[in-house]
Amino acid sequence: MCSSAVGRWWRPFGIVGEATVFHVDLAPHAAHEARASEWLNAEERVRSDRYLHAGSRRRFTLCRAALRAVLCSRLACSGQQLTFGTSSYGKPFARVDEMPNRISFNVSHGGSHGLIAVAPHGRLGVDIEERSTRDDLSSLTDAVLGPSEEREFALLRGYRRTHFFFRMWTLKEALIKALGVGFSQDPAKFEVPLAVRRGAKTGMHRFPNLPQTEWRVDDLGTGDFAAAVAIEASPRRSQMSSE
Amino acid sequence: MASTEDRLRTLVAENLEVDGQPVNVPADLNVSLTDAGVPSMDFVAFAKVIVREFDVPLTPDECADFSTLKDLAAYIDSQAA
Repeated sequence: MCSSAVGRWWRPFGIVGEATVFHVDLAPHAAHEARASEWLNAEERVRSDRYLHAGSRRRFTLCRAALRAVLCSRLACSGQQLTFGTSSYGKPFARVDEMPNRISFNVSHGGSHGLIAVAPHGRLGVDIEERSTRDDLSSLTDAVLGPSEEREFALLRGYRRTHFFFRMWTLKEALIKALGVGFSQDPAKFEVPLAVRRGAKTGMHRFPNLPQTEWRVDDLGTGDFAAAVAIEASPRRSQMSSE
Repeated sequence: MASTEDRLRTLVAENLEVDGQPVNVPADLNVSLTDAGVPSMDFVAFAKVIVREFDVPLTPDECADFSTLKDLAAYIDSQAA
């Protein structure tokens, strides 16, 4: 699926538990974009064309094509055999020859960077954000941070404040995406594990309203971006993994 | 007084951008914020703006669920009715 002349725009970024995380380079690149567009099916091309901005189209196309390549490799299938379904909460799952597959995956992109996380089973979520100097962070804290997190945010200044906010956002967004219910799980109603807030790269989390399931959450941030992955620590056996 | 659609168009222009560029929504507002390329963090921020400006209940999830901005304007009007 990948031409050596064009090269790949994704690469392995890390292993977290049973999940493999790939970084996707979303910087403008005509050859990558042309090749990626070839790999999309008709439905995906329609979706790509709906985006108003060229940057949004590029990010979707490059990420979806990279996801196709990763999944086809894992599932030993062709691009034509691979299609996607959508759960009731809008989370996609893979089909091979129209048969739902247990493989679990999640995708995020922000700015020039994308992440793809793939695991054999179990729910997972990933998020990546370029840290921007947006001036409305303080107005977002009550919608995103819990009480302890807000107090910690208030003590910070300058880049440390921005860094903390984006770190908390990606950790929470990864957990919410792993749970698979969107923002119906209010990010301000749970807090990132204390050790992770204080700098640990990994920790275990339980949603207060769903304490029966434990999640592993890892900070994958670098100097270029904030990023996180969350993985169900005790996967359910009776349901589709990517729902 | 400006219509809800006009006010919504202004709020989008003032509060949302993609890649540093303003979000130029079509005049008929027949586009979703997702198709406009708005990232999830901005859904949270924009939902708060809508709640403040129109005094209507709206969560980020609900904001993302509207198929078009025109539908969002209709929802706002229905809440005010």
